[in-house]
Amino acid sequence: MGFSAEGKRYLLPEEALYLMECGSLQVFYEDLALSIQDAYEIFLSSETVSLHQYQVFGHLKRLGYVVHRFDPSSLPSRYAQQLNLPQSGKNAGNQLKRKHDVSLTSTSAPSLSKTLVPTTDTMSADEHMKDESVDESVAMTSSESTADESSTTDSAVMVEPRKWWTSDIIEDKGSNHRNCSRSGWDFSSILFPDLGSKENLSGSLASPDPSLLPGALAVGVCDVASWRSKINQRKVKGSPEHRRRGVDNQRQGWHGKKDEEVQSCKNWTEFNDLMARHQHRRQDEQAEHLWNREVTPLHDPSQPLPTRELLDICSVIKPTCLLEGASRLKPAHEWRISFVVYQPDTASEFKKSKPRKPYTHVCVCGFDGPVPELQTVKLLTSQSGDVPVVFAVVDHGDVSFYTMKDFELPTDVFL
Amino acid sequence: MEEAKEEEVSSSAVGLSLCDSVPLLWRMEDIKKFRSMGLVGSLVGALPRAPRQNGRMGRPLLLLPEEERLLSEKQAAAALPVANQRAEGVEELRQKVEQYEAHLQQSYEEQSALALEDRKAAMLRAMTSSNTHTQSSEDAWKHRLETLDQNFSFPQSAMAVQLSTARAGLTYYPQDRAFLQADWPTRQRDGPRCDARYRVFRDLKGRGFYLTSAGKFGGDFLVYPGDPLRFHAHFIAVCLDLEESMCLLDVLAVARLGSNVKKTVLLCSSVKDGTVVYTSLQWSGMA
Repeated sequence: MGFSAEGKRYLLPEEALYLMECGSLQVFYEDLALSIQDAYEIFLSSETVSLHQYQVFGHLKRLGYVVHRFDPSSLPSRYAQQLNLPQSGKNAGNQLKRKHDVSLTSTSAPSLSKTLVPTTDTMSADEHMKDESVDESVAMTSSESTADESSTTDSAVMVEPRKWWTSDIIEDKGSNHRNCSRSGWDFSSILFPDLGSKENLSGSLASPDPSLLPGALAVGVCDVASWRSKINQRKVKGSPEHRRRGVDNQRQGWHGKKDEEVQSCKNWTEFNDLMARHQHRRQDEQAEHLWNREVTPLHDPSQPLPTRELLDICSVIKPTCLLEGASRLKPAHEWRISFVVYQPDTASEFKKSKPRKPYTHVCVCGFDGPVPELQTVKLLTSQSGDVPVVFAVVDHGDVSFYTMKDFELPTDVFL
Repeated sequence: MEEAKEEEVSSSAVGLSLCDSVPLLWRMEDIKKFRSMGLVGSLVGALPRAPRQNGRMGRPLLLLPEEERLLSEKQAAAALPVANQRAEGVEELRQKVEQYEAHLQQSYEEQSALALEDRKAAMLRAMTSSNTHTQSSEDAWKHRLETLDQNFSFPQSAMAVQLSTARAGLTYYPQDRAFLQADWPTRQRDGPRCDARYRVFRDLKGRGFYLTSAGKFGGDFLVYPGDPLRFHAHFIAVCLDLEESMCLLDVLAVARLGSNVKKTVLLCSSVKDGTVVYTSLQWSGMA
């Protein structure tokens, strides 16, 4: 308790008042002992420690916790977190693993992501996925539609400090691309032989164009007769009923001219278009009235849409996590963290010079006052680092503790 | 006659002290008087006999804003001035210090006498309970008793010092308190919501209920049929404006809460003519 300054020991007013109430301390002012009433009136005021704050302090101290005043400068700044200076306690051991401990809410990231999108490749994305499992102080943006953005953001942020090893990878890929574009292969003109076609090809393949082959490779004629014999060229027989009907199951409803339309399709693209047109026709007949009114359906089922985006359209509340966007908020005066609380069981080992990781940060407010807004909660959470923030609400002598936790609604998406 | 009248006047006043612009009651007489008026308040200090627990608290007593307002309306509140020692002269201060030190010295002497008695009694017990009753051992004991009288010293650091909870002062004299009676500053807590709450409070108080704050139960007041130390609360009072429309989800939430804690929820609104209408919510089944 207390602190030392200029060679003397000092006590903070709330600590002094607590010790007085416990009967362990007597405070003298002008040679007269102060009564507890005097101490309450002198020590507690809105400038120093308010009555609400003292009530919370006393409550926690009586339960046995170690309670100190919160000092915002004691937390490592964002830059220090990025540098990942060795901290006391458990973080020192994990230093090797935490190479990629970069806070995901840095504001410079979005601007970088735009330029780096074209070169985002599978390699860096894989590394990003691996890192996130290791990263503890993660703020995953839960809105699925920005998942791509966030991954590019992450890779963008991570490129900065990790330049010397990611740049090799990016350069390699880039060189590959450059190689390809230089030779200018036109895959539409290169024909791959179809060994499974029913038409009778010759049993041997001619040697390919030497310009397609690397270096001075010469390939002779290839005998593929043995391969072709291994391919199952048997006609697939359906069930007896299937054979009886003599039509495909899929084409059950298709009679008459539709059959001719299908037969007139020359390739798969045309067939898909035909199917789409038929779908639309059917749907439009059924549900046209839905689209005529003011309130239209959120989504036309005939349009293909990935399930994630569909879930986003259906969602009522836009999800957000506590640390998202918190760095842009300006600190408000009325909501601030008052105390930092440490666990009681280490009181005997507690050292003021090297305190353990704090248990919670406490923000005191009254029951009559307003409920903290999302903005306030975000601000306080970002101010307190990776320590949870607890709101201690005082209601005429009763103290209740509330905390806000991140929660992600489960979205079952099977890809 | 005048003394009697002043005592009557003073006996109806409750002395309030402001701490961080919050009124607190410190003296036992004030708290007893307060309780006898049917007002409860809540204790927020540490209990001197068991200071490291949160179950039972001690003085000071914190007032609800409605209780404070009721007191000031009944002219039963007296504001006690803050002790400002600097305002007093040096002479008065010196007198006070002398008084305090004299009091300490007297207490020290009493305590040392008591400590000596304790030691003697312990020795006598030890003497009488020991088995050997030889003459030499009895002589040894007597010798020890005598030396005890001469050599006993009660160290100053072992003295028990009383830390008074309430401030002793001249303002507790009846005439001063009567003088201060009209002086209670009502805190700036006006607003339709505060007025609504106060009217409901006053009405329920008038019907003989005891009221405390109900923040933890999601309402405005907890209504007890008698003293809270003897009864459980029967109602949770939620104060609303008559014209105010309440969202159905809020009604559901408060009804659920009430049924879970086995209390009836009272929706209270004050009508323009001064009366208060109540609607009670009780969870009942489909039968």
